[in-house]
This record gives sequence, C-alpha cells and structure tokens, in this order.
Amino acid sequence: MIAAKGAKYAAVVRITLKQQTAYRMDFLMRSLFLLLILYVFMQLWSAAYSGQGEGAEIAGFRLKDIIWYLVLTEAFTMAFPQLCTRIEEEVKSGGIAVRLLTPISYAGYQYASYLGEAALRFVVNLACGSLIGWMLVGPPELGAGWSSIAVLGLGSFTLAFLLNLSIALCSFWVEETRGLEFILQKLQFTVGGMLIPLDLMPHWLQQICAWLPFQAVLYFPAKSAVSGGAELGAYVAQQLGWIAVMAALCAWIYSRGIRRLNANGG
Amino acid sequence: MNVLETKGLRKTFRVKRKEPGFAASLRSLWAPSWSEKEAVSGIDLAVEEGETIAFLGPNGAGKSTTIKMLTGILHPSGGEATVLGHVPWQERKQLAYRIGTVFGQKSQLWYHLPPSDTFELMSRIYELDRDDYRRRRDLLIERFELGPYLDTAVRRLSLGERMRCEIACSFLHRPRLLFLDEPTIGLDAMIKERIRELIAELNREEGTTVFLTSHDAGDIERLCRRAVVIHHGGIMVDGSVQRLKRDILRYKTVAVRLAESSPPAELLPLPPGARRLPADAGQLRLSVDLTEIGVEQVLQGLMSTLAIADVTIEDPPMEEVIKTLFARGRDEGVAAREEDAP
Repeated sequence: MIAAKGAKYAAVVRITLKQQTAYRMDFLMRSLFLLLILYVFMQLWSAAYSGQGEGAEIAGFRLKDIIWYLVLTEAFTMAFPQLCTRIEEEVKSGGIAVRLLTPISYAGYQYASYLGEAALRFVVNLACGSLIGWMLVGPPELGAGWSSIAVLGLGSFTLAFLLNLSIALCSFWVEETRGLEFILQKLQFTVGGMLIPLDLMPHWLQQICAWLPFQAVLYFPAKSAVSGGAELGAYVAQQLGWIAVMAALCAWIYSRGIRRLNANGG
Repeated sequence: MNVLETKGLRKTFRVKRKEPGFAASLRSLWAPSWSEKEAVSGIDLAVEEGETIAFLGPNGAGKSTTIKMLTGILHPSGGEATVLGHVPWQERKQLAYRIGTVFGQKSQLWYHLPPSDTFELMSRIYELDRDDYRRRRDLLIERFELGPYLDTAVRRLSLGERMRCEIACSFLHRPRLLFLDEPTIGLDAMIKERIRELIAELNREEGTTVFLTSHDAGDIERLCRRAVVIHHGGIMVDGSVQRLKRDILRYKTVAVRLAESSPPAELLPLPPGARRLPADAGQLRLSVDLTEIGVEQVLQGLMSTLAIADVTIEDPPMEEVIKTLFARGRDEGVAAREEDAP
C-alpha cells in the first residue's frame, strides 16, 4: 500500500528527469550564466581580500571559503525550478484540471516534480561551479562539511519548494503571483545569504535573519560545507521546524484555495 | 443501479465587474464591484450503469462546469451529487481511481515525451498491478493501433494520433464511468468515426458508462442513446436521442433518384409543407414538415408526375436538432428578457 504510494511519486520524479532531456539548451544557457556570475563575484571578492594580506579572514571566512560558499549558494539558487510560473500557468490555462483528475495529491505531485528537477540541475550546476572554483582558488576541503550537504540540501529544496508553493497557491485567488515571487527571490538573495554570508552582515541584521526562514534555504548548507559541518544538528533542527510551519501554512492555503478554484477553459 | 445522481446541483461564480476606462480601473482597485453569475442552476440527473449519455448545450450553457463538479475539480455552490457512491468534491482522489476523463482541449500526455512514458506514469499513479497493466496496455495499443507512434514524442504526433493516445490512456485503469468533453474537436471525419467506434466498443464490452459533451452531431448519434440538453444552466430536454429527433424535429428528408426516362423535376410544383433542398443532377431532395403533410402524400404526388428509380426517407441530422433547440431556447430567452423590461 505504502510502497504503491511511494512508487507513484517516484514515477513523477522519473518522468520529470526524462522531460529535462528535452530542455538541453535551457540547461546549457543556465550553466553558462552561472559561470559568468561566479567569475564576476570571484573577481570582486579577490579584490576585497587582496588588501588584507595572505591568509586573511573576514568574519571567519578565508577567500577560498567564500568562493566555495558562493559556488554552493549559486548552484542551489539556479537549481530551483520556476514553481510559481508553472502553477500560475496551470491555473490560468485550466491545465490544473488534468492533474486534479488523477488520484495523486496535487502538492505531492508538484513536490516530486520539483525535487527531481532541482536535484538534476543542482548536480550540473555544482559540476560547472566547481570547475571554475577549482581553477581560481583550488579544491575545497571535502569532508564532514561537504557530506552534510546531502542532508541540508534535501531540507533546502523542501523549504524552497514550500516557500514558493505558499506564493504559487495564491494564484487560486489572484491573477499574478510574479510580484510576490520577485520579492521572495530578492529576500533569498539578501537576508537568505546568497550573495554575502550572513556572518558578514551587521549584528542587528543577523539577529533578524535568525528569526526568518530564508537562511535555512541557502545559508545553512553552504555555511555548513565550508565550516566543516560543525552546526549540522542545529541547522537540521531549524530546517525541520520551518518545514513543519510552511507545510502547515501551505496545507491551509490549499484547502481554502481549492474550494474556490475555477479550472478555466472548456 | 445509478452510477451518477445529482439533486439541485448549482454553481454561481462571483465575477469582478469593471467599467471601461482608466478611472474605473483605479476605482476597482480598492472598491471592486462584484456580480454573481449563475453557471449551473439546479440540475437533477440520474444516470444508470452502462448508459451512454450526451450532454448538449451551446457555449456557456454550463456543460463543462457540470462535468467539473461531477469529477470533483469544482466545488458547487449548492445541491448534491454522488458519482459511483462518492461525493466528488469531498472524495476527489478515491473517485479518480474509478473514473476516466478526456478533455479534447487539454492534454494529459507529456508534451516532450512519447506516449509510452505517460502510460507508465499513469500505471503508477493509478497503482495498477504490473502484469495486469502490461496486458491492458498491449490490448489498448492493438485496439487503438498505437504501435507506430508509441515511442514518438507527443509534440510530433498529429491531433488524431494524439487523441487516440489520450483516450487509450484514460482507459488504462478500466474506469467505470468515462467523461468525454469534446473528444473529437478538430479531427477529420475518418478519425472521428474511428474514435467513436472505439468508445462504443469499450462501452459494449466493458459496460463503461459514457458521459459525453460534444458539438458534433455525429458523436451523439453514433455513441449515445440518451440526450440531456442544458441551456441557461438548467435542463431543457432529457430523453432518448431517437425521441429527441422524432419529437422535437418534425422534419423528414425525402431523397428521390429519378429514372432516366423521367420528366425533369426542377419545375415541379410542391405541396405546402414540402421544401426543396439542394441536390445533384437527376435527384430531388425535399424537406417535409410532418405537421403539415404526411410523407406518403408527398410521395404520391411525386409518383404521379415523375418516374422514380429510388427513394430514401431520412431523419434530419443531429445538427439540425441542436440548432432548432438552441434557436428555440434563444427565442424563449429573448422573450423572458423582454418581459422583464419595464
């Protein structure tokens, strides 16, 4: 019984992966863009560190740490599928009806599809990013830190999915969710620690970030990887906490939204 | 046994009303004005197991809205419904295992992948037994002649090929009740006919109840024994397709093939109630209004003046039936509105 339910979602992951092979161009473009961004930021950080002398640290980060931190946050960010666009499109076109007509949970279906796509993209992004990181600052310290990505990465994808889902589900009420998605993305870039590790931010801002879910998506796995995984337990606990909160919120939004959904089109 | 029952099923939508103009747009930002639109206004329906039922109505009559409520996608504003013992909008997933749905305008196939991948996905989603699934799939592939394009990406298939895959896909899990919403829209005549045959076969052999909406008279005539016509959100007619044609449309078409020795029929005077229809050379086609004159009287008149090789008497095509019904509905609608006016 449970095996059959699992097989259902595994099949969604499989078909999503297969579907990705149809988007090879998109993959290539994303990877090239990733290389460009990383190159620019690496130049920037190199300049910032060059005034500090050999082996200098800023808030506990050496140049090498910060570059690998960036490689990871970028690899994650660019792996996240466009969930809002997808759900909004399904609601507008009425394509959501086809999903609702099969015996599968709508959110579960989206989650399986999200995970499949994100995992594949992440692996490709990480390979590209590592290439340039390796060339500029040398290999990272693989070990407990990097292996913690396996756990924190899954939490990161899950929480990113739920944050986006909570916004995407608003398309049951409003025509456009892109504005909200834009805000969420920019929060991720800043208070989520994508561009700059939170440790480098002013103390008061760090205090605020600690109470927000955004740091659990990008900052936790990237920081854990470059700092040897020292805080793994605390990070996992916080991720799980936020996942529980966001899952409950999404379930509530969905249960209300589905009642007033008008699947468009004949 | 009824597989589907509704009582007073109703759906109203709240639509935002917006007056034209920029100022009105701004105003509607903080003070939107809403109006209620009644899409379905109280439908009572009972469908027995194994029936083939056509659900007809002009655009905007509430056909799709009703199907969406019966399949559990849409929550009604009032009334009750049970489909195979489930309340659709409360038990959507349980119901989904036992019904199939084909929307002519929405695809369930994965666009960039071959149909075989979607079949595989569906077999998992419906939790089909592996061996049973393979047998069923192979049977449907053979029946629907899908072999040649099973492994071609859906985006490369023609509409007809795609529709056959869609319908085969919705038969994989042996649904007890099949909803078809415009399944033959945009297809050419031969493919249409083939799809109708396939659906009719599965209805016969597996006892699948078929609930069909279509604009195509052929779909209804070939597939359905019962017709329900809805208009302005309510049921206008509920009866057999045969009776619908007989009672509502009082016309017969008389087609006559003339013998070579026959005098020309062009200038033949016609009795009241008979009307000439366009016909090929050497033929005569008449539309006869049965309330004014009997077919035999018309024939007698023809036989006294013409040499006749062959005669056929036909029911009018379903298109005519629907057109007449809709025209009548429209007239009544207009009349009702005029009464409302001060």
